[in-house]
This record gives sequence, C-alpha cells and structure tokens, in this order.
Amino acid sequence: MLEITLRTLAVCGVALAVALAAGLPLGIALGRRSFPGRGVLVSLVNSGMGAPPVVVGLAVSMLLFRNGPLGFLGLLYTPEAMVAAQVLIALPLVVGITLAAVGALDENWELEVRTLGIPQWLRLWLLLREIRLGLLAAVIAALGSILSEVGAVQAVGGNLAGETRVLTTSILMYTQMGRFEMALALGAVLVGLTLVLAAALTVVQQGGRR
Amino acid sequence: MPPMRSRSLLLVLAGGLLLGAPARGEDLLLATTTSVRDTGLLDALLPRFEQESGQKVKVLAVGSGAALRMGADGNADVLVTHAPEGEQVLVREKRVLSREPFMENHFVIAGPPGDPAGVAKAPSAIEALRRIAAAKAPWVSRGDDSGTHQREQALLRAAGVDPAKPWPGFVSTGSGMGQTLLVAGEKQAYVLSDIGTFLAFRERTGLAPLSKPDESLLNVYSVLVVKPVGQAFAAFLLDPRTQREIGDFGRDRYGEALFRPLHLPAPGTSAEPAPGVRTGD
Repeated sequence: MLEITLRTLAVCGVALAVALAAGLPLGIALGRRSFPGRGVLVSLVNSGMGAPPVVVGLAVSMLLFRNGPLGFLGLLYTPEAMVAAQVLIALPLVVGITLAAVGALDENWELEVRTLGIPQWLRLWLLLREIRLGLLAAVIAALGSILSEVGAVQAVGGNLAGETRVLTTSILMYTQMGRFEMALALGAVLVGLTLVLAAALTVVQQGGRR
Repeated sequence: MPPMRSRSLLLVLAGGLLLGAPARGEDLLLATTTSVRDTGLLDALLPRFEQESGQKVKVLAVGSGAALRMGADGNADVLVTHAPEGEQVLVREKRVLSREPFMENHFVIAGPPGDPAGVAKAPSAIEALRRIAAAKAPWVSRGDDSGTHQREQALLRAAGVDPAKPWPGFVSTGSGMGQTLLVAGEKQAYVLSDIGTFLAFRERTGLAPLSKPDESLLNVYSVLVVKPVGQAFAAFLLDPRTQREIGDFGRDRYGEALFRPLHLPAPGTSAEPAPGVRTGD
C-alpha cells in the first residue's frame, strides 16, 4: 500500500507541476492580451475543462499503441504516459481558471501600475499577488482532478503491479475483485491525502487575506 | 346504477386487469467471467433467452473468484465461471442450488511470434512455463483471482515457480482477460489466456498461440444456480439448440469454434432430457 501511495504522489506531483508550469503563464497571457482569435482559444480552453477525462485517456492510448503514431516511443503502460494524460486533463482547468482570475482584475490596475513606472518583472510579481486567490483556486482544482482520475490513468497505465498501479486504479481493481476491505482502506488513504493537501492549499490561499 | 357503485365496479375491473396481466419475468443478475463476455458469446446468446423467458439479464463480468464470492454471499442469481475447485467449494457448502458444466475449451500460452523461450517446442504446458521462467522472458499475468489466474498459479507451482516470487519481467495487471492480452501484446510478452478471448483479440495483440492443448490446459465452464430465479437460464444453456449455437460460435469469424459444448445430443437421438438439479460432479 505504501508503494502505491508513494507512486500516486510522485505521478500526481509531476503532473501538477507540469500543468501549472505550462498553464499559469498561458492563462495569464490569454487573460491580459487581446488578439485576433483569442475568443476561439478561450472557447477551446473552456471546452477542455469539460472534456471527459476518459476520452483523453483513450486518445493518448491510441497515440501510444505499438502500431500508433507515437508507438515508437514505447510509452504505453508507463508512469510517463500517466503523467502525460493527467497533464492534458488538468491543463485546461489551470488555464481557464487563471484567465478568469486575470480577467476579473480592475482594468485600471494595469494602467496605474504602469504610470507608477514600475519595471516589467515587478509588475508581473504584483499581478500574481493580485490574482493570488484565483491562482490557488486553479491549483486546487488541478490537484483535485489529477488525484481523482481513474479512467484515463487505467487506460494509459494498465494498472501494472509494481509499475503503474496507483491508488485510484487499485481501488477500482479491488472493487471489481470483490475485495471491499482493501478497496475501502485504499479509499481512505486517497481521501485523507486529498483532504490534507487541499486544506494546506486553502490555508495558503486564505492566509493572505487581510 | 347509482354513480357510487359504478365507480367502485370500474376500480375492481381495473385492478383485475392489472393482476391478471401476464407476469413479466423477473430480472436476473448473472455474474460471470470477463473471458465469457469478451468473446461476445453472451451478446450472441442473451437476446434469444430474454425474448423466450421474458427475463432481463444483468451481466456483471468480474473474475471467477469474485463471481463465486458473489454467489456465496447471495449477491447474484446465477453464475457462469471456469474455476472448478472454487465451484466445488460452493457446492459442498450448499451455497448454490446446482452446478452443471456446459462447455469447455483450452487455455493457451500465447506469446511473441518469434517465441524466444521455445514454448512451441515444449512437450507440455508445464515444461513450457519452466522454459519461460528459466529464460526470464516477459510474462503478463491477470493477477485478479480469476479462473484463468488460478490455473496460471497452479501451472507455475507445477513448474517449480513460487507464484509469490516470480522472475523479473513478470507483471500483473489485476484486470480482465481482454485488457491483459492488450498489455501482453504491447510488451510482446507471454501470457496464459482462454482460447476464446485470445482469438477474439488476436489481431489486436499480434501474439501467436504457442502451446499444444494438453490435459493441464483443459478449461471447463459451468453454470451455477444460486437462486431459483436463475433456473431458467441454466436450463437455457443446456438446451440442445443453445448447445449447438455454442458449438458454432466464432466459426465464421475466426475459422474455428471458440467453445466445445458438453451436452450436444448425439445425431439421430431425441432432444436431451431436462437437466435435473445436480449438486456434484
């Protein structure tokens, strides 16, 4: 059980980090600038937020199959594939929530900051502080979706013991085997993990409020 | 007639009509193995059963181990499994009303067409496993306490391998036969499968059937009735017409039948007598 939990944390941690690293800048950029085609991009992001994760899992599997376009990578049924699928699922969430947070900023704020003669890098830092609450909402949402993902992770990971088995796929497996005590125990660990992480993030989010 | 009496008469008539209407058959919960579902056999047989009996069948495809547990707990009405030892336990403990083997086929050890461990040349299945273990060849296991998994464990033990400490390259999916075959296909690994699911997935996996059918690979499917509502389904499976259909299933698609029926009436004889309640075999 410890091995499965540690692997869950590792896979989900990496996926969250990548989704945030890619999604936060993208969300901020989409939120601040207007350019031709922005509306289309934002619609895509919003659709992505509602996209069924299991379909993402199916699409990634089909890309990675031995006979598929990316089959030469040999990445199917590996933790790397699981991270990839989870990033694709969480990315629209991060971008969508971030750009909404940026969009909620007072339009004069940017103007005021610029007239004060504040350098570019410091302006970015101030922007991040202003949308702190929204950013953390994006992180919590992404974390939640990544930790709870079953279908896509099962599809691209294969639930291989010792290699790609994580908490969610184990719970599903034990449920289907009728071994409910194991399923419940793993379920308790997963819920506990989610609660602790979400609580910690909430403290950070709300702690900054004056 | 005074209004009050004609209203109550109408109610009585309506009630009578409802009660007298042909009773719809009760729904049936069938717990079975993924290997039976993945071959498509149930999809082929169930429509006629549902039409003839009026019963609607809810199919739960889990491993034989889970299906037998469901039966023991009374959570299913009828079981179709292929784990004779586990089935016998239920019969001995009188948790099922009957057990009737109704079809069989063989397990097959499949693997990469190149067959690096030399399985095709092995004189027996147990020797084949010994060679695979010795070569530390990649192997994909169900690991889900299913009938197939139980047979795999038994064969491994007979080959001198401790199932709890197999060789490096041995992976376990904890999933059904179809999924396990797909993983084996991806890894081009050896795998134990029932011949039915293997053939159904052959094109997708690119694996070759390597072992010769021998006694240790015999795979017998039985129907176990847990609750009386399941009797009709058991009778249906043993019925001559269904047995013939089972014997033909898969022939046009795969060139060979996936299952061998066990209760075919001999040509020229009359139809099989109705199966009695059997509690042992």
